Formats: sequence, C-alpha cells, structure tokens
Amino acid sequence: MDIAELKAELEQHHAACFGWALSCCARDRAEAEEVLQTVYLKILEGKARFRGEASLKTWLFAVIRKTAATEYRRNLLRKLRSAVSSEQVREREPAGGEVDTAFDRSEEQVRFRLALQHLPARQREALHLVFYEDLSLREAADVMGVSIGSTRQHYERGKKRLREVLERTELDYGIGWRGKENPGAV
Amino acid sequence: MELVGEEKKIQALFSELRLADEQAAPSFAGVWNRAQLRPRTRVSPLKFSFAAAAFAVFVAVVALALWASSRPQTSQPTHEIAVAPVTVPVTPAATTGTGPILPKKEQPRVSRNDRAARLAARQKAELLAARRAEIRDATAISSWQSPTATLLSSQNDALLNSLPQLNESVKDLKSFLPNK
Repeated sequence: MDIAELKAELEQHHAACFGWALSCCARDRAEAEEVLQTVYLKILEGKARFRGEASLKTWLFAVIRKTAATEYRRNLLRKLRSAVSSEQVREREPAGGEVDTAFDRSEEQVRFRLALQHLPARQREALHLVFYEDLSLREAADVMGVSIGSTRQHYERGKKRLREVLERTELDYGIGWRGKENPGAV
Repeated sequence: MELVGEEKKIQALFSELRLADEQAAPSFAGVWNRAQLRPRTRVSPLKFSFAAAAFAVFVAVVALALWASSRPQTSQPTHEIAVAPVTVPVTPAATTGTGPILPKKEQPRVSRNDRAARLAARQKAELLAARRAEIRDATAISSWQSPTATLLSSQNDALLNSLPQLNESVKDLKSFLPNK
C-alpha cells in the first residue's frame, strides 16, 4: 500500500482514530492530538508498517494504543523530572475546558464520562472498542493485545462496573438500569 | 453483535459521545500536515554513547563472570617463593645450610579461600630475605681489614710469612739460622 492510498484510508478512519486516542489519553484533547500526530509520523517514517495481518482499523488502533501508552510514560517522566509550573497548569486548563463546549449540555453525558473514568483502563478500552467503535470482541482483543477470553471478561466486568457507578451517581436518563441481561449477547 | 437491554443503553450513551467527539475532532489535513512538519526523530549521539557505554559495562561484567567461574575452586597453594638471585660474593662457609637460591619464577595463583597459605608464603619470603641480609653481613665481616694493618708491615714480611721448602739448598737454609 503506497502512502497516498494509505493517506486516503487514514482520512476515512480519522474521526474514529481521534475518538480512540481520546479514550487512550483519558479524554485529554491536546494529548490525543499529539498522539495522533505521532502515529501519523510513525507511518510516514515507516516505523509503523501495515502488513495486512489484521484490518487497517484494528492495526491503526493498536498503534494508537501503544503510542498513547508511550507518550503517557514519557509525560510522567517529564513531570517527575521537572515540577510543572503553575503557569503551565493554567495554560492547560482551558484545553480541557474546550472539550466540554457543546457536549456539556447533557448532564447525563457528563455523568457517563465520569463513570467511564472510574473504570479500570482495560474495561474502559473493551467497552469503548465494542460500543463506540463497533468492533467485535475478537477485533477488540487484537487491538488490546490480549486473548479474546480476557477481552470478554473485561467487557463483562466493565459493563457491570459501569452500571454500578452510574447507579451510584444516580444517573437516570429515562430507562431503568436493572434490565434483563442477555448472557449470550457477545 | 446483537445488543439487548442494558447494552443498548450503553450503546446509546457511547453513540452520543462519539457524535460529540466527531464534532470536536481536528481536521485530518491539519493533523497530517503537522505530523509532516514535525522534525523526524533521529537517534541522538548521546543515545549512541549511552548504548556503547552500557554495552561496554555488559561485556566487562560477562568477562568478570567468566573469569570467576573459570578459576579453580580449591587450588593448592605453592610454597615456592620467588627469590632474586644473590649478586654479592658469598663465601662457601657462609652459604652452607642456606639451601639453593631459586631463580625468580612467576607467582602461582592462590585461590580466594587460601589467604592463610598466601600469608604463610609471605612470611617465608620475609624470613628468606632476612637470612640473605645475614649472609651479606657475614661476608662483609670476613673480608674486613684493620685500617692499621699497614703499620705492622715490614720489608722482611716475605721471609717471616713464608716457610723454607724441602728441596731448598742448605745455603739458603742457613739464612734462617742465627749468625754465630
């Protein structure tokens, strides 16, 4: 696949990639953009090469996930090395606020996002890949780099935990949470 | 994947989230162009030097480990002591009982556990050195000459210090006899 062809494909998946990057970066928009840039640079430099072993989307998501983890570690080290000045903190605050523009209109969504933050990373990833990105459990397992059985567990536990957290925050968006579960859904 | 009940509710929440994210997503062209403008990552020389130093340390550690493992666990300490050849002239009388002086040899390896043996060897070497000093002193004493010995010498020393030989003539012998 040449670079022009790949670019066209990437453009097609760009919105989904940004959503996944947001999820991997704890919904930090600036960091998600940075991660996405790094991923595109990796592709341009040939450091990340698509070999057709999985679907392009799955491969791309795996690269994003790995890059986000690396960036997270790097940022953590940077923060440890030098204390972040209050100036920088003030600069970052509006960036976080930008995310909430039109989206904050919905109180339920705010609570939902907070509930997602309460989930362990693996569970959040599994739920995001299945519900947000419409991936199958197998594809989610490929992205997360774990077995399908493990992904299923994260998915089920994530659902349970999400329900508990939402119940605790008294989220009610018209439909009761204690509905009948379908164990054979996945 | 067929979704039912609770899953549909979660799906609805995620769909709403996705919609909001799509609206807030930066343009692909912008991100792509910024990625292209970013300086390409290169391996800095510092990283190279760090890697080289790490490799050198690793090699040193491995060499040390191999050397330590190749060493004999219980080596017999050799009690041969390296002794330098004595250069001072030694009289035969003085050397009796001291034994042969060995030429200098390479010091054999002594195992880690045999420190006591090494200590004993060192003590023996010191003893030998002391004995060599004694021999040197004895040699110096045997060749000592009094500084006033020249005052006692005379022209007739040859006659006084020599004995007449058996086949010497009577005429010569007479010279030893007191004159009558």
